Formats: sequence, C-alpha cells, structure tokens
Amino acid sequence: MQKVLVVEDELPLNQQLTDLLENAGYQAMGVTDGGTAFLAFQDFEPDLVLLDVMLPNKTGIEVCREIRAVSGVPIIMLTAKAEDEDVVDGLEAGADDYILKPMPSFKVLQARIEARLRPLRQPEFTEIILGPLVIDVLGHEVRRDGVRVALTPLEFNLLQTLAEAPKQVFKREDLLKKVWGYHYDADTRLVNVHVQRLRSKIEDDPDNPKIVVTERGVGYKAGQF
Amino acid sequence: MTLTVALSAAALVAVGGFLSLTIGNGLFQTRVEQVLQESKQASAEVQKTFTATGNTDVLALQTLVNEVIPNLEQNTANGSRKVALLRSPNQATNQFLQSPISGDLTVSDIPATLRNQVAKTENKLVYRTIYLEADGVMNQSIVVGSKVVIPVAGDYELYLVYDISDAQETLDFMQSTLAIGGLVMILLLGIVAYFVTRRIVAPVERAAIVAEQLALGSLDKRLPERGQDVVAALARSFNKMAQSLETQIGELSKLSKMQQRFVSDVSHELRTPLTTIKLATEMLEARVEELDPKARRALDTLVSQVARFESLLADLLEISRYDAGAVVAEIEPNNLGDVVSMAVSGLEPLAETLGCELILKLPTRPVDADFDPRRIERVLRNLISNAIEHGAGKPVEIQVGRSKTAVAVTIKDLGVGMSRSQMDRVFDRFWRGDPSRMRTTGGTGLGLAISLEDTHLHQGWLQVTSKPNQGTTFRLTLPRRIGGIFTESPLPLGETLSQRSRI
Ligand SMILES: Nc1ncnc2c1ncn2[C@@H]1O[C@H](COP(=O)(O)OP(=O)(O)OP(=O)(O)O)[C@@H](O)[C@H]1O
Ligand SMILES: [Mg+2]
Repeated sequence: MQKVLVVEDELPLNQQLTDLLENAGYQAMGVTDGGTAFLAFQDFEPDLVLLDVMLPNKTGIEVCREIRAVSGVPIIMLTAKAEDEDVVDGLEAGADDYILKPMPSFKVLQARIEARLRPLRQPEFTEIILGPLVIDVLGHEVRRDGVRVALTPLEFNLLQTLAEAPKQVFKREDLLKKVWGYHYDADTRLVNVHVQRLRSKIEDDPDNPKIVVTERGVGYKAGQF
Repeated sequence: MTLTVALSAAALVAVGGFLSLTIGNGLFQTRVEQVLQESKQASAEVQKTFTATGNTDVLALQTLVNEVIPNLEQNTANGSRKVALLRSPNQATNQFLQSPISGDLTVSDIPATLRNQVAKTENKLVYRTIYLEADGVMNQSIVVGSKVVIPVAGDYELYLVYDISDAQETLDFMQSTLAIGGLVMILLLGIVAYFVTRRIVAPVERAAIVAEQLALGSLDKRLPERGQDVVAALARSFNKMAQSLETQIGELSKLSKMQQRFVSDVSHELRTPLTTIKLATEMLEARVEELDPKARRALDTLVSQVARFESLLADLLEISRYDAGAVVAEIEPNNLGDVVSMAVSGLEPLAETLGCELILKLPTRPVDADFDPRRIERVLRNLISNAIEHGAGKPVEIQVGRSKTAVAVTIKDLGVGMSRSQMDRVFDRFWRGDPSRMRTTGGTGLGLAISLEDTHLHQGWLQVTSKPNQGTTFRLTLPRRIGGIFTESPLPLGETLSQRSRI
C-alpha cells in the first residue's frame, strides 16, 4: 500500500483528504503543523507528500526544501493563490507539481497523485550517453564524469525523455503530457522551473546550458555532442 | 517678451517722430522770424536811402544802387544772404536802372508767383521757401521780397535770399541723436524685459509645467521656493496645494487598495473551507445509494449550491485581480471560429435542458486574429449562456464575421429583452435584471462586468442592443492584430432594435 503524507493546517480539510485517500486505497497520514512536518516525513517515509503552502511555524516552502535536501520523493503543493510567487517559490524549492484550491474534484487530485506515483515508462534503452552524462536508465542513476548526480524521479524522467529523442524539440505542452501526465491546460511554469533545477544539477554553467538547450519560442531539446 | 520690446520700440518711434517734427518746425519758425526781421531792416534802410537822395540823375542813381545793393550781400557763419534788385514789370517810366543780382543767383530762382505778390503789395514783406542748388546739394533757402520805390526809375523789387540749410543740419543732427538714443533705449528695454521675464514669467511657466506633471500623476513634483517675493509666495501656495493633493490621493488609493485587498484576502480565505466542503460533498456522493430520497435531494442541493458558491468566488477573484491591475492577457494568433465553436458546444447541454436551439453561422474562411483564447472563450460562454437563460426557449443565433481590421461575434436571442434603463446597467457589477428569477446557473451579476474587462484588455468593443419582449443582441468586436485600429465592426448590431453601446 502506497503512503501519502498530508501536510495541511486546516484540520477539517486535512481529515477530509486523509479519509478520501484511504477510501481510494492509500495509507494516509495527516500533519497540521509546519514545524513537525519534516519529523513526520522521516517517521512515516511516505511515497508522496501533499503540502499546503501556508502553514504555522514553518511555511510549506521551507518544509519542501527540508524534504528535498534528503529525498526525491514526489511533492505536490496545495495552494490557494495561483497568481503570486507561491507557485514558483514552491516549484523552485523542489515541488514536482501543484494543485489549486479548490480543486475541481477529488478525482482530479487523485489523478495527479497517480501520475506521480506511476512507475516510470518502459525504457527504450538501458543506458544513454549524453555529452558528459551517463544515464543508467534501469538503475535510475545519472553519472557525470563518474560521479553520481542526485536527481528526483521527476527530474530523471524529464532528462530521460529529452535524451531518448536527441534530435526532437519538445514543446512545453508535450513535456507536460509526457512527464507530468497532464492532458489539458496546465501551467507551463512547471516545465520552466524544473528545467532550471535540472540544469543547476547537470550543467557546467547553468546560465549557458549545453545539455538541455532552449529552442526559442518552441521548447527544449537535448544538446548535440 | 518680444512683444514687450516690439511695443516699446513702436512707442519710441512714435515719440521720436513727434519730437523731431515739432523741434524741426520750431527751428524753422525761429529761423524764418529772424530772417524776416533782418529783411525788414534791410529793405527799410534801402528804401530810406533812395527816398533821402535828391538825385534825379540816372547815372547817380545807378551808382547809388551799385553801392547799396551789393552791400546787402552777406556771408556769415550762420548762413549766407544773397540779394537781387529787379525792376517791376509794366511801368510807365522808361528809365532803366541796371538790376544788380548776386553772382550765384539767377532771376529764374525767384518764383514768379512771389514776384506777382510783391508787385501787388506795399510796405510789406512776402516770402517763400525755395531750394537752391549748390555743389550738387539742394539747400533750403528763404527768399523774402519787398517793393522799393526809386525816384525817377520807378518800382523795383528787392529780394533777399537766405540760406537756412544750417537749420536743416541742426535738425538732422538732432534726429540722428534721437535715433541712436532710441536704439539704445530699445536695447536697454530688451535687457530689462528679459530679466523681468526671467523673474516673473519663468516661474509661472515652471508652475504650469509642474501642474501638468501633477495632472499626469507625478504627485511628488514640487516648485522650488526661493526668496520672499510674490513668486516665492506663489510657489509656496502651489506646493501646499500639491502636498494636500498628494496626501488625499494617497489616502484614497490606500483605502481602495485596502478594500481590494480585503476582497482578495476574503476570497482566498474562503477557498480552503470551500475545498473541504467540496471534498466532503464528494464523499457523500460516493455513497448516494445509502441515502433515502429526502437526503439525496438535500445532497443534490448541496452539490449545486457548492458549485454556485465556487463560481461566485472565482468571479470575485477575477474582478479583484482586475482591480489590482494584476491581469496579463496571453495574446496569440488564434482562430475565432474555433473558439466560438468550442463555447457553443460547451453550452449545448444547457441549451438542451432549456429547450433552446443554438444556430451557429461561421464564415467559410478561418477567422484568424490575435487574442487570449481562454478569456475570449469565457466572454463568449457568458454571452451565450445569458442568451439561453433569457431567451425564452427561442432559438439563439451566433454569428461570426471578419473584416480587414476587425473580427466580431454577435449573439442574438428573441427572449425577454431589456428596457433602456436595464441596458444602462447590464455591465455593472452584481447587477441582475430580476434577482428573484429562477436561476439554472451561477448568476452573480459579475459575468458581464468581467466580460467587459476582458474585452477592454483586448482593446475591443462589447455592445448591446435590446427591446423588452423582442430580444437582445450582444456584439463583441476585437481588433485583428493587437493594438490595431478599427472604426467599424464587421457585423451589424441589429437595425430594427434601438442601440446602446458601451465602448
Ligand atoms: N441576453 C440577455 N437578455 C436579457 N437580459 C440579459 C441578457 N444578458 C444579460 N442580461 C441581464 O443582465 C444581467 C447581468 O448579466 P451577467 O452576465 O453580468 O450576470 P448573470 O448572468 O446574472 O450572472 P453571472 O454571469 O455572473 O453568472 C442578467 O442578470 C440579466 O438580467
Ligand atoms: Mg452571465
């Protein structure tokens, strides 16, 4: 049974979410305080974290950073404000995805959770070499000059998708579909932020990228070596 | 400033002209009087000499004439005097005396009219102004004539010609002095005017510029306050006014920001409990079989009211986003036909429930234009759902049109329509024609207010025409290219209906 940690300070919503998650077949645990969220995470070892942005004692952004420092576990942010920096801050802190309150229905949330927990696609190759990177597709590992680079599953998935079709330019919408599992209007900021995060881990100079390059006005593609 | 100098110069020229004229006249007049005085003496003396002589001998008389007359010639510092003694014509006596005349004078220099006058008068001086040429210049002269009676020889005319060009010289000198003085005066005036302008006019001009900037919204602009004079007082009052303006506007905008923030905060605060209610409702819906009919009806009510609450909240948030100026359109090339079709097919279910037919009229060619598809679809959805709801079950016609500069959609229903006063308010926030009317969808009265904001974001028009019980037509017109100018919509807004538009 997969485990979901729900970090949400509104107790009724927290309970409602854990109830619905349990109904849907997950093992769910609720935390209402930002200060204890990280401890609960270490204790519970969830497969996915639902994380509210506005939390007492410690913001969701901070909690997200704490978790990212030790784990690549999928994190979905819950936020009431789509327009301001909350979303970008959360994504930059390492969240994989976000969902707005109120979500259209629990089913939509469930679909997002499943997309993050779904096992990665059947790989077409066992190993891909992309410039200085060796991508071990089976072992879910990336080495750069022999040194292991720690990527989250989502970042790994993003890199693998680009590397498997080295000549293809991916539109942001394509990547949202392939990597995030979105099938209609999603926020392209998701792609932008995660490409930035990925670059900061694998590129020599993230401001002058060679491995994941931007195709102006279109999207992204793997660099040519 | 140039005007000031020009006016002063004109005044100077007028005064100078008048001065030189009167002075000239005065000079001439004194000279004439002096000349007449001298002439009177001279002619009296000549007459006395001839009267006194007892000689009747022509030769002796001639000697006397030759003695007396040339003596009258003068050549002094203040002008020369020439002389001529001419015999009056038509006399009985035939004794002729030789008429002496100054060397540089000829008989023809003496005007004939003057000679006539002299011939007719007795003991009286007659004079004329003439011009005599000497060394190529015309010199103004006065010729004074008088009658002299010589025994035996008869009537003779004595002419004394005075050169008065020295008076003219004085006048010329005075005029040139006046002219130079005038020029210097004008120059000084210009300088004075320049400094006065800088002192008075320049601060006023600066005040005008600052006032303009204030009006354009730079509320922190002020005038420099230097010195203690009127100008400084003006600057101080002006700054005081600007200060109070700034404070008041600041206060007002703070209040309105607070209000907008309040709306935005409340809307956001409401989202979390709304999420909880929605999820709880969903939980119940999953177990609807376990509920009895009355509880099921309660659940249905709950579901629909939660949906209504959510759409109200979404509208409120959207309006508060517009108020905060936080709206950015994602404008890109699109096919308006596609967006209209999408909105129509999305509303088919609602139309079907209300027994209303949707007729879509698209041009054969694609209607390409630059716009934000999400916002325009929202506008269309609202207009079409309004038409269905107020269309009394009659068909609703949706037509798409294009021209070189603009694209347009009209949504025409044949339903309840609106009165003129209702039309005036349709775009107002929270306004609903009949609040108690049975509603099938949301119905917050924010729909058209948001539609209008969305339209303005595209620099387009949203217009309406309506008649009670006949129907309503809304027309949305957008520029083909963003920022493009259009003066006419590609589609008419219904000729038979009265028109009222909001642009
Ligand atoms: N086609 C129409 N015919 C007659 N009246 C109309 C029509 N469209 C709008 N109105 C009037 O204008 C009012 C305001 O419309 P608007 O779309 O702003 O709000 P709403 O439809 O009541 O609610 P909302 O769109 O926010 O759910 C309506 O309540 C209705 O009285
Ligand atoms: Mg409406």
